[in-house]
Parts: sequence; structure tokens; C-alpha cells
Amino acid sequence: MSPVADSRKQVLERIRAATRGPEARGSAPATVEPPAPGYLRRGSMTAEARLALMAERLREYDAIVVECSPEGLAATIHAQLKASGRRTFVAPAGLPAEWLASEFAWRIDGNLPVDEIEGADGVVTASFCAVAESGTIVLHHGPAEGRRVITLLPDWHLCVVRAGQVVQTLPEYFDLCREQGSEGAREQGNKGADGLPALVTWISGPSATADIEMTRIKGVHGPRFLNVILVTD
Amino acid sequence: MSSAGHPILDPTLAPPFPVAALPVLRNPQLRKNVAHAIDVIQAKRDRLVAEKTDWQALREAASGIKDEALENLAAYLEQFEERCTAAGGHVHWAGDAAEARRIILEILRQENADEVIKIKTMTSAEIQLNPFLEAAGIRTYETDLAEIILQLGNGEPSHIVVPALHVNRGQVREIFARSMGIENLSDDPQALTAAARHYLRQKFLTVPTAISGANFLIAETGAVVIVESEGNGRMCLTLPRTLITLAGIEKVLPRFADLEVMLQLLARSATGERMNPYTSLWTGVTPGDGPQNFHVVLLDNQRSPILARKTERQTLRCIRCGACMNTCPVYRQTGGHAYGSVYPGPIGAILTPQLQQLQHARSLPYASSLCGACYDVCPVKINIPEILIDLRARVTDQERETARKFSDPMYLGLRIANWIFSRARLFHLAQWTARIVLRFFTRKDGWIHSLPSVGAKWTQTRDLRGLPRETFHQWWSERERQRTRGQGGERPKEPGTREAAR
Repeated sequence: MSPVADSRKQVLERIRAATRGPEARGSAPATVEPPAPGYLRRGSMTAEARLALMAERLREYDAIVVECSPEGLAATIHAQLKASGRRTFVAPAGLPAEWLASEFAWRIDGNLPVDEIEGADGVVTASFCAVAESGTIVLHHGPAEGRRVITLLPDWHLCVVRAGQVVQTLPEYFDLCREQGSEGAREQGNKGADGLPALVTWISGPSATADIEMTRIKGVHGPRFLNVILVTD
Repeated sequence: MSSAGHPILDPTLAPPFPVAALPVLRNPQLRKNVAHAIDVIQAKRDRLVAEKTDWQALREAASGIKDEALENLAAYLEQFEERCTAAGGHVHWAGDAAEARRIILEILRQENADEVIKIKTMTSAEIQLNPFLEAAGIRTYETDLAEIILQLGNGEPSHIVVPALHVNRGQVREIFARSMGIENLSDDPQALTAAARHYLRQKFLTVPTAISGANFLIAETGAVVIVESEGNGRMCLTLPRTLITLAGIEKVLPRFADLEVMLQLLARSATGERMNPYTSLWTGVTPGDGPQNFHVVLLDNQRSPILARKTERQTLRCIRCGACMNTCPVYRQTGGHAYGSVYPGPIGAILTPQLQQLQHARSLPYASSLCGACYDVCPVKINIPEILIDLRARVTDQERETARKFSDPMYLGLRIANWIFSRARLFHLAQWTARIVLRFFTRKDGWIHSLPSVGAKWTQTRDLRGLPRETFHQWWSERERQRTRGQGGERPKEPGTREAAR
């Protein structure tokens, strides 16, 4: 037996010896349902209050938030791009064509080289869901959210969140994952068990640090500017 | 960084806690930096925890989840391995630090790597990975701002979440100006952060290999989760060709949905935020997105023996939020370096000695007043005081078995006392001698304020009551004598100064 395989066996044996019994449980422990939790799983806010909370939290993180109706979305995106003073934007391949205002230069990502993404002024994406309580935007990196790198390198990120995607509590997001699997995961061959997402990025405000004297500084390596469009239903 | 020389964070070499703490206690700047930082974090943490009405239920759920994971750790690790491998990852098992280092070096050699970018990982500091890789000719670049400050300033981490909290902006300015060659750098945190961004950008875009730790491993899906703020983590997880994740075996969670509890607790406890800016989850390899060559190194390094003891097993619930050190009155005074380990504070005081099989760091279980503040704030409800007491007992048991019982003044003293106390004549003689000798040190107020030699260990920090004029024995025999003499005498006086000699 190779020394590597040996270590595997030894570590597992040590753990089993320390946790009593060679098989503390069968081979698929994850099928056991967790006990009913005592913490808050579902919020009780109205859709309106939820959206207002989401906007408030995002603003606390220094994100720029605008609201619009579904009909006004393309115009709002256009206005935001224009107001940014930027020109070149990356967009994931699955972004609706009407979002791509023609007066800007678009780099559509399928497999863009890193320097083209780095050289862009900003990026526009959709999102999988958002959690109001913590002001968190969730990306599953489906076709309209794009590869992880495109929302990382450009300094400016415009993200579209629809009111119907906003949940109040974090557990509601996990329910959502369980109920519908994820578009992104399905798209990527559904590698996670039970349609659970294989890639997730939870974004709560622009990148930040407080490593120097606990002073919060916005914008370290990730995008320094986060713009969110909340689309009311 | 401190005027007190370079701190030693290797538990096998570090001096005992009371000795290591002295330089910090004598450095007012360092103490000010530490106190400021933890005051800020704690105030934020307390505010955000107070707004969570279900905080206690979340703690309860989290400790239950971790207990379940630890109870069935072998099965969950195997499940993680199976799922991660199915998703294109490679899982390695390391029995100890040396093996983990060897595995990582081997992977880097296969990649012909001469540089590697790193996300902050305390586990890699635990196995002393950076000096090992540097010695093997591989340059390591820390990418977390605090870690850059320490790496460029040749400093050591003093906190598990904000490792450079003992360094102030002026000191950061000096380090950056010197090592990055920027002449007119201001000490504004904004400017310092921008300097770090600029310094690392090219590295992120060009270095093809990265090393990370892990906040959580998900058995159900084989996914790995990293919780961070700056985006340096996302850079390392996304841009390189090859990614190596080093994770302690206790990092595994049974289910994806367990994150709904953990993520609510972690950021609030660690940095006083509702949620940290970035959390990343990935599963093996995703074609076209991120590293196409992914390795996980599962590290035991003395964790498995901790599982065997029911009380101590709680130690492995830790999610490394650092709340216990922020609230600890001892850490507040000494900072992290005194603990002689990359894991300082109350969690370090229980984790480090156990990772050393109580062969080293034996002073750490005593580096606590047992006030219990750490237990109150712990998001996974680790009863740290209970474990500290248990470890103290084990340290004492162990010392009793060693040669120390013949050399340590306390053990020698107790053995001699044992011998004397079991012989009445000797006991009386000792009392008599002690009363005479101690009289020279007893002040008019009836207290002893300072003693020479070994006795100073007591009087350095507290006073000792002077011995009474008369012992209980003397008082009693006097009383008996008067009684047998008949009813003649009046009641004997109360014993001298109330307290009988010990």
C-alpha cells in the first residue's frame, strides 16, 4: 500500500476509534433530516417591506441602489451605464439583448481572456436571488450571471435583482435552492447533489477591509463600486 | 514590530505564557493598538447580535450541527471525498504537518511552480507552510491585507480574524513605504489599502497556483466554502490554473443547508457585520470557470485524538470567528503573541495544548481567569472554561508523573508539606518556626505585603494575612486545661487573630 493511501486509512481509523464504533453511522449520513430548528426560518415581511429593507441594507454597504418597473428596466440600465461615465462593459452570454445599450462597447463573455475582462470598465449581470436581512446578492453563475471572474475583475458591477427574487431571511434562500435546484447548477451539468448549486458567490456590498485599525475601507481587490437595480413587480 | 523582539508562535519553542506576556504588558503602544481594535469589533458585534432575536436558537443549532458532524466525522469525510472527487477534485489525507507540507510541495513541483498566491489560512500557519515552501525555492505571496502587512513587515499574526490588529497605521505606512518602494505614502488607511491593491494586482493576474484554507467543507455536495471581505480570496479561487485547499478535518458540515445557520453566525461574531462582503462556494472543477486543477488536503495533525474526550471534543466545533479573544480580559491585556501559537486567545488556550498532546503549551490552560465571557459569545457554544479546567487537571496529572515532581518548587513544596502535615510533632514545629519567621515580614496592619524568594510568587500580586499569635491547637489545649481545672476559670479568650494557622 502506498504511503498516501496509508495516511487516509490511518486518519480514518484514528477518527473512528475516537468516535467509538467502526461505523458510527451508515454510508450516507446526509440523508438524515436535521431536527426542526428553533431559529427563524421564514420572515413575515410584505414584499414591499422586504424590498425596502434590501435597498436599505445595500445602501448601508455603500452600494448605489435604484428601483424601476419591469418596463423601465432597459432604460434604467442605460441611465446607470451613462451616469457611470464608463464605456466598455462585460456581459455574460445569457444577458437579455435589450439590456445591452448600443452606445456602449460590450464584451460578451463566453471565454474572454483575463486581460479583456480586466481592461473593461464595468460588468452588468443578473442575479439568482437576494437576501434582504443581510443585503446579500446571490450569484449561482448561470447564463445571465456569468463566470465568477467577470464580476470580480472590473471595478464597477451593475447587478439586476427582481423583486420576486428577494427573500427576507437566509434560510429562505436555502429553501429556494432545495425547491427548484439552481438554474446555474443545471446549466453546468448539475454536479451538486440534488440539484444544489456547484458554484455560489454571496455578495454583500463592495469589497472591503478593516485590517488597518478597524477602519472600514471600501474597495480592495473586488469591484469597488456596486450598483443594484431593484425591479419592482 | 514590538520593541520586545520577535514573538515566537511555535508552541514547541515559545516561552510559557506569563513570560511571553511580559514584553507586551510593558509596551503601551501595542496594548493601545490591541485594545482599540477589539473595542471596535466588539461594539459592532454586540450591536448586531442584539438585533438577532433568534441568536440563542442559532447558537444551539450550530453546536448541534457541529456535534453531529464530529460524531460521524469519518463517514462525512468519506462522503466529502467521494463527492469532491466525482466533481473533478483531488482529495489528499495528511496525518501530520510534515505530510501536509510534503503533499503541497509535490503538487507545486508537478506544476513547476516557483511562486504561489495565498488566501489567509491559519491552518497553513499552523503547519508552518510558508517557511517550508520558501526553503524549497517557492515564493509565497500572502494576499489578505493584514497578512501582507505581517509578511512584508516580518511580523507574526496576533489574532485569527484580524491578524495585524496590533499594528497601527503609522507602522503599516512604514512597512509599505519600505517594501513597496513608495516614497510619499500617506498613513491614511484608504491610501494604504490602495497601495496593497496595486502591489498585488499583477500577482493575481499572473501567478498560476494558489493556496487557500477552508471555512467549511460540505459533505453532501463535496463543496468548499471561503468567507472573506476583500476579494483577494475570490481572486485566488478564480484566476489561477491550480488551487490547493488545506483544511482541518473538523471543517466538514453534513449538509449544504447547514450554511444557513453558520453564515448567520460567523460574520456577526467575527467582524460585527450582518454578512461579510464575499462568500464563495465551489465544487471540484467547473469547466471554463476557475482553476481546472483542484486539490484538497485534509489535515489531521493531532485533531483526531481530541475527538476521543467528550468535553474536549467541543474544541473542534470552532469556526474560527475570534469572538472569544475579542471578549477575553486576558487577551485584551496581552494581545495574541503571548500565547506562543497561531491560535491565540481562549480558543488558542484550549486548542494549542491539545494539538501538542499537552507536551508543549502547558501554561496556556492557566492563561485565563475562568470568567466565562468566551463561552457566552461563542457562536457554537464551546464551553471553554470547562475545557480549561479539564486541561489544567490533565497538565497536573501529567506533571505528577514526570521528573518535574523532583525539581519544581511547587511540587517539592507540596510533597514536603504532605510529609510534615502527617506528623503532628513536625507540624507543630513548622508552625512555630513559620510564626517566628513570618513575624519579621508582618506589618503593623497584620498583613504581609512582600516575601522574598519563592514566597514572592504569592505577594507579587496579593497580600498575605499574618499568622495569628496563637494556633488553634494552642487555644484548644489551653481551653481544655482550664476546664479540667474545674469551674474556676472564666471562658478562654477567642483564638488570637480569629484565623487558625493553615
